[in-house]
Amino acid sequence: MATVKTHIPKKFHDAVVKWRQTFLPDYDFLLDNWERYFPKDQRFETCAFRETGICDEIECGDRKGEPKFTRARDLDSEQAAHLLGAIRAQASTEFGSIQQHRLTLARAQDEKDQAWILRMMAEELRHGYQMLHLLLDDDWSSVTDVKSADMVEEILSMTTGSHVLGAFNIEFDSFVDNATFCAIIDRVGKYQLEMQRVSAYKPFAASMPPMLREEAFHLAAGIVPMRRWMEQAAQGSVYITTEDIQKALNKWLPRGLEMFGDERGGGTNVRYGLKPMKNAEAQGLYYDEVLKLVRDLNMRYLRARLPELKLKEAEQILDQIVDQRETVRGITFEELVHAPHKHFFRRRGVPSFEMTGWDGESFDDADSYLAHLSKQLPDAYRASSDFQDYAEKLRKVAGGEVTAADAAREMPTLRRVGGACPCSKSVRWVADNGASGNGGAS
Amino acid sequence: MSEDTAQLRIRPLQDTDLGDITGLDEKIDGKYRPEVWEMRLGYYMRRDPEASLVAEIDGRVVGFMLGEIRSGEFGLEQPTGWIEVMGVDPEMRGQAVGRRLAEAMLAYFRGRGATSVHTLVDRDMDGIAQFFIALGFEPAGLTPFVKELA
Ligand SMILES: CC(C)(COP(=O)(O)OP(=O)(O)OC[C@H]1O[C@@H](n2cnc3c(N)ncnc32)[C@H](O)[C@@H]1OP(=O)(O)O)[C@@H](O)C(=O)NCCC(=O)NCCS
Ligand SMILES: [Fe+2]
Ligand SMILES: [Fe+2]
Repeated sequence: MATVKTHIPKKFHDAVVKWRQTFLPDYDFLLDNWERYFPKDQRFETCAFRETGICDEIECGDRKGEPKFTRARDLDSEQAAHLLGAIRAQASTEFGSIQQHRLTLARAQDEKDQAWILRMMAEELRHGYQMLHLLLDDDWSSVTDVKSADMVEEILSMTTGSHVLGAFNIEFDSFVDNATFCAIIDRVGKYQLEMQRVSAYKPFAASMPPMLREEAFHLAAGIVPMRRWMEQAAQGSVYITTEDIQKALNKWLPRGLEMFGDERGGGTNVRYGLKPMKNAEAQGLYYDEVLKLVRDLNMRYLRARLPELKLKEAEQILDQIVDQRETVRGITFEELVHAPHKHFFRRRGVPSFEMTGWDGESFDDADSYLAHLSKQLPDAYRASSDFQDYAEKLRKVAGGEVTAADAAREMPTLRRVGGACPCSKSVRWVADNGASGNGGAS
Repeated sequence: MSEDTAQLRIRPLQDTDLGDITGLDEKIDGKYRPEVWEMRLGYYMRRDPEASLVAEIDGRVVGFMLGEIRSGEFGLEQPTGWIEVMGVDPEMRGQAVGRRLAEAMLAYFRGRGATSVHTLVDRDMDGIAQFFIALGFEPAGLTPFVKELA
């Protein structure tokens, strides 16, 4: 077990550096202050890592036990198309998230939180770089007519609004989004990377472990500030309330759930040996992990509100408030945070446009559902074009003008990402051909 | 990397363990110190999250061990594993939770090219010293020196 470091050819490397100068202008600040924020940590470098000594045999699917592929042209064409879709989706998310984070990075109130997010952004750049390395390091001509160089250019020219996955097209409104995105959306990334780690295409599998190690920090960069905000909220801070955090969860969790792909899909990726789990199974594990995260946040709040409590008592009280919805020692269910229902505000997958409320309640007309959403979502987000698009589609679905499935397919306004297999039910997001290989990560 | 037996599961540390580890520390030491663990786990997660481990039984965290590989410290030029912080639920002591954690961590260090593993034990903590001796550790040729500055 070790990692090998590489760089992509100079022309492309320079293109990434240029991209970095535009979308990550604080990169030099990060490196100049590295020792101050991350003493003794290995310095960041824009490069690609691959793990050596990983499993040589296909780990799941129809060809389990056979040697993994080392060249794209050895995969059968549909399998290769799924794989290529996955790599491009992944690349798009990595670069896309930097474009989102930069909007509100400067608004952080805490310098350390800001430095952690900045480091995370640099690492996303490295992840994107790794995906470009995969595209440039192999011959994909058996899968697509698009040359590797053009694929790279296409990825580097995407901006917020044109990325492959919906979550990466939504703008951030405040630094609360930076942290919540890390805790909620990068967590989907962790699942995707973990699944792709078994990929039958060895170079892709070998790219995952170094990314996963960095991903663990991205989750911490989200969860640690959120925990501190819960404490501050409990102490009556004027800067943050649990309502702010709740609304950010409501904004991001539905998009995170959708990143796993349609709940009915994912079987093809498993058969092809590209992932070990179907979409619904992975999504279920993710949701359970978010429930744990939310409980952890509430515990932080409760202990700050009632510092005299011991651990056991605090756990009992939290159960009472959350499970029985009782008010205990003045703390109400409403002042804590909760994961919205899995079907809340969904526009992709099985429950798309189904008008399920935050608590699982059903609505039967679009107006009252939109009124409900408008109470649950952050003010700035309600004023966004993303929400407007959703509201317009919802009215059409409710009015019988389009089916939920058609509206879901159109949902993100997207450009061509091409090259992916049009047969796949598992995926979404690509407006023109209805498919791409996977849910992506960041 | 995760190593399982019937009930006990050893797996790498993750961000959602923060609450449980803070809770274990409170059980062991009687103090609730969330900020300390946020800082500590943040440190290990950004350096090498796979090196640090937790032990779980039925999804409940019953032990943890934090460590990493470093080189060039204390004149140890070779990559060297360091076991730095650990804790086992007092109700679960003596059931090989600590041993399983240490074995998994040592296997990880070995796989990453470390040729030895070090730790420092306070002279007053005989139980911990005994634990490491039971695992095959021996006193090292390094003697820690300290001078109080206040
Ligand atoms: C030290 C500690 C990790 C041991 O965990 P554990 O799960 O009870 O240990 P195990 O059951 O795996 O024991 C492994 C071996 O160590 C020995 N051992 C463990 N604790 C011991 C003690 N207090 N005295 C003597 N031997 C001990 C066991 O006898 C066993 O030997 P064997 O395998 O040859 O039979 C645990 O007691 C602990 O968390 N202590 C507090 C840690 C602490 O203070 N942390 C803060 C500073 S880092
Ligand atoms: Fe990433
Ligand atoms: Fe990430």
